[in-house]
Amino acid sequence: MAPKYKLTYFDVRARAEPTRLLFAAAGVEYEDVRVQRQDWEALKPTTPMGQLPLLEVDGVTLCQSMSIARFVARETGMDGMTRLERAQADAFVDELEELVPKLAGLLVFTTDETEKEEKAKALDKMIAEKLGRCEKLSGSEGHLVGNSLLWCDLVFYNIAYNIEELYKAGTLQSYPKLAKVYDTVKANPRIAKWVAERPAGQFNI
Amino acid sequence: MPSIKYTYFDGRGLGEVNRVMLAAGGMKYEDVRLHESKWAGMKSATPMGELPLLEVDGTTICQSNSIARYIAREAGLAGKTSIDQAKVDMIMEGARSLFDKAAQIFILPEAEKAVRKKKLEEKEAPELLEYLNKLASGKGYFVGDQLTAADVALYVNYESVGSLTIALPSLDKYPNLKKVAENVKANPGIAKWLKERPVTTY
Repeated sequence: MAPKYKLTYFDVRARAEPTRLLFAAAGVEYEDVRVQRQDWEALKPTTPMGQLPLLEVDGVTLCQSMSIARFVARETGMDGMTRLERAQADAFVDELEELVPKLAGLLVFTTDETEKEEKAKALDKMIAEKLGRCEKLSGSEGHLVGNSLLWCDLVFYNIAYNIEELYKAGTLQSYPKLAKVYDTVKANPRIAKWVAERPAGQFNI
Repeated sequence: MPSIKYTYFDGRGLGEVNRVMLAAGGMKYEDVRLHESKWAGMKSATPMGELPLLEVDGTTICQSNSIARYIAREAGLAGKTSIDQAKVDMIMEGARSLFDKAAQIFILPEAEKAVRKKKLEEKEAPELLEYLNKLASGKGYFVGDQLTAADVALYVNYESVGSLTIALPSLDKYPNLKKVAENVKANPGIAKWLKERPVTTY
């Protein structure tokens, strides 16, 4: 029987990875479709808003990466324990999301050295501001909100992974509560298995 | 009855969707409008150094989109099922992206501003509005057949982008979106708010 969920994205982690991490953490099967760049032009006009990722479920096609992730979080019970907790988890995601295109822009799409330097300066400032704010609000026991793994922890982990592994290792040392969240996600057996086995992707981002 | 206090600058901008939804839900709240001069002193006391804020029974929520989703749920505008909620979410994001593009243009230097404005007016906005028009029903609803936060987001963001002097194509070109706007304006709570709200440039 085909899995209930079909996730379509480019062959990278980036904006679809929080949803993939959610499925992994929840132990839920899904079809992980990766679109090659040359096939995108033909696919684009058939999508709800001309963008990827998409999630197809029960004959409905959802778009917008964070709407998709929030939906899967809700389906798998990882969106938050109370109504206010859900809003707080949302707020962390909204705050951190801006880092995703900035990291990709610098690490993958900029080759000119001067431009790289300028972007790195701007990114460092943004990282310091945003991680500083999140550190202030984060829980101290390895979760951003409440006492259990929520989707905001996975969104954070995905971004922090790129910062630590691809940009500036040791960044999280200045943010002990966030470092604990990172380590908690990393140590989750299902997440660890997915991270070890996931496709390398067309770009490492 | 929870006590609700909404704090934003004295304008519409990215804070107005929330006020319109509170109105649609008939939810009483304190509409705090902060003068720019008062903001500097307050900033470090806020959760993430930004407005708007929603204070509900002693808890402070930040991030305009997170506040919007919370109010939508409380006001019954979020969508009836989990999938419907996801559809409402995705439309809200699409509609908001129009506003975000317009707002980003405003901080650019003049030469770049003109180029980006033209691109938004002639390419990006018409493309997105075309996609959104297909996603709305002939009856003028994005999800199901009653008003949701998706409809409100389309109306308010379209209006706010216009206030930023971006020449968007008229909704006459997008019949389903035109109906969405009519449905939003016809909601009694919203109609009352639109008539009575403080008038601001943007």
